[in-house]
Amino acid sequence: MKGVLESLIRGLGTGSVYALLALGFVIIYKATRVISFAQPALMIAGAVAVSYLVQVTGFYVAVLLSTLLIAGVALVVERVAIRPMVGRPVFVVAIITLGVDVVIRVVVNGFIGLDVRQVGDPWGLRLADIGGLAVQQRWIAMFLTTAVLVGLLFAFFRYTRYGLAMRAAAFDQETALAQGVSVGMVFALSWGLAGGLAAVAGTFVGTGQGVDQLTWIIALKALPAIIVGGLDSLGGAVIGGLVIGVVESLVQSYQGDLAPWLGQNFAVVTPYVVMLLVLLVRPYGLFGTPEVERV
Amino acid sequence: MSKRHLVIAVSVVALLSACGVIRGDDEDQKAAVTTGVTNEPCPLAVDRNKGCIYLGTISDLTSGPFAALAVPITQAQKAFWNRVNKAGGIGGKYEVDVQAYVRDNKYNPETHNQVYQEIKNNVLGLAQTLGSPTTAAILADLKANNVVSAPASWTSAWEFEDVIVESGSNYCIESMNAVDYAMETYEPKTVMAVHYAGDYGADAAAGAKIAAEGNGLEFTAVETPAGATEQGRAITEITKNKPDLVILTTGPADAAAIIGQSAAAGFKGRFIGTGPTWNPALLQSPAAPAILALYEQSAPGKPWGADTPGHKAMREALGNVTPNDGYTSGWSWSYPLKAALDKMVAGGDVSRKGLLAAVKSLSTVDYEGMLPPEAGNYAGDPNTATFRQTLISKPDRAAPTGVTIVKDFYTGPTAQSYTMDGPCFDKL
Repeated sequence: MKGVLESLIRGLGTGSVYALLALGFVIIYKATRVISFAQPALMIAGAVAVSYLVQVTGFYVAVLLSTLLIAGVALVVERVAIRPMVGRPVFVVAIITLGVDVVIRVVVNGFIGLDVRQVGDPWGLRLADIGGLAVQQRWIAMFLTTAVLVGLLFAFFRYTRYGLAMRAAAFDQETALAQGVSVGMVFALSWGLAGGLAAVAGTFVGTGQGVDQLTWIIALKALPAIIVGGLDSLGGAVIGGLVIGVVESLVQSYQGDLAPWLGQNFAVVTPYVVMLLVLLVRPYGLFGTPEVERV
Repeated sequence: MSKRHLVIAVSVVALLSACGVIRGDDEDQKAAVTTGVTNEPCPLAVDRNKGCIYLGTISDLTSGPFAALAVPITQAQKAFWNRVNKAGGIGGKYEVDVQAYVRDNKYNPETHNQVYQEIKNNVLGLAQTLGSPTTAAILADLKANNVVSAPASWTSAWEFEDVIVESGSNYCIESMNAVDYAMETYEPKTVMAVHYAGDYGADAAAGAKIAAEGNGLEFTAVETPAGATEQGRAITEITKNKPDLVILTTGPADAAAIIGQSAAAGFKGRFIGTGPTWNPALLQSPAAPAILALYEQSAPGKPWGADTPGHKAMREALGNVTPNDGYTSGWSWSYPLKAALDKMVAGGDVSRKGLLAAVKSLSTVDYEGMLPPEAGNYAGDPNTATFRQTLISKPDRAAPTGVTIVKDFYTGPTAQSYTMDGPCFDKL
């Protein structure tokens, strides 16, 4: 039982990172109907920015500055590469984000260099004892930070004018425009938020183990998370991320004993297996809105 | 010009250059002696009266998992051949160029083959072909065309290929010696090999298995994917089964994740990592205390700071660089190729076939002390020619590449008695 709980907490930790990334995907999708494949690059850029800033400012300030910096980068990307494409097919815009991802990663790889870069987090690999469970401190930090950020984000959407504008634009762009909502501002804000969240997620990926040129691949696990949760559901993104993290962690720990016939390293594909299972039962994800098309 | 005309013009230029009509790298073939050898001097010749032998380099130079090793390897080889040229070249007649045909394989076999096809008609041989699966992708072509190549990998499959001039023990022998060393030092009862798939990880794991069985130890193999965040299962297997000894064959970042987190979860057994598992930057990671306490490093050659004429020459040639054992490997791998080129030119048959014949006649190579001369035996059958000595080092913050030798070149009883009758990774 102790093992299960420890495994569960590890899953919640990594799942929190997936959730932050998934939130970025969903926020951009809701505002623009585009899946932005630039999230992995923004994530790794955030972590690398922290690894440089931490030497000057200390960890917490570095995370804050990096978040603002990457949000800024995302704003610039939106203004330069995405805004001119408003009204074009979303497929085209999605492909542009793929290009943006490659460009940013090439630049960031130059800053990573050949070695592993450390983000200088205060947790390292230290353990905390919670009721007899040995839990890595960084997992607790990931989970708590995600909880706080998600809370702030939901409050922002619920209680602020900008949040209301974003919800209105997501619901019906033309009507929102007619009511005086600046849809351009909504696009920019969604990219900025997604960039900031990706930077925080990247920093947490780097805790305890550092980042290298291949770390960006982990961001792709947010894709099954958003499909599981539903492409247009913020709550779904969080739940989806956590579910993927927990299932992956439990499979890592127990598949070898319970289902050795699945072969070694089945955990690597579990996010996609979960995604397929959910798609079979609920094609729009657990919390997604079914699309109604009139013929 | 209208936009349409511009587009057409650009497309035509692109098409022509793709077809090879417009080429900036048009080689000067008029003075060719044979494929990859010219009477004209090298582009960066020291002595313009000598001809030029072109050797290609295919390495993981930008985004692959071994770039941190591959870039220093390539730099060291450039410095090695530069030193050879300055010292009079090959037989007083030729200099060697390893800079005109350098290509990036991104550690992808397809890319590797693609860039090899680009350069193969311009080079006599390959000064470096990095990686086991990547080199396997071009091996048939290398053999068909007698292209002698120095590998940047230590898989046991190379013992069975004439065109591959490998230096130092393979991963399989290295792990056998690691287990035998642990037998003397820690007397383990159980051994676990945590390894990547393929002929890097599986070769080492097979060696560990053979040695464990030979010593009557319980053995398990855990295959693990690349990626520091993917190591959860390997860590669970280690902490759950508590082996006395773990033989690690991964990349450096993954090794840090495995050692650090296993130790954090209370694991107290020993780790021994295969050569490419190490990177001095690991001593800056949060896993450093665990690495210093539990980890040792097996290696096919001595580290950067060793006191041999070869190491000294390398340090002088490279000057003020951040020490890295990629440099050491790249430099030492080049000696057999130099010996073979010397022999080829002395024999008079300057051609790919001549070079291959020269390789097959080498039973020792002067590594200037970096490796024992018998490490360069390409004349005997695979079983007798296989070099079986490796070293063990321990992490040491004060050492230039973070490791100091604890056991010098030795052959353990398992490796000594083992018959090399096929690539080890087939036996896992």
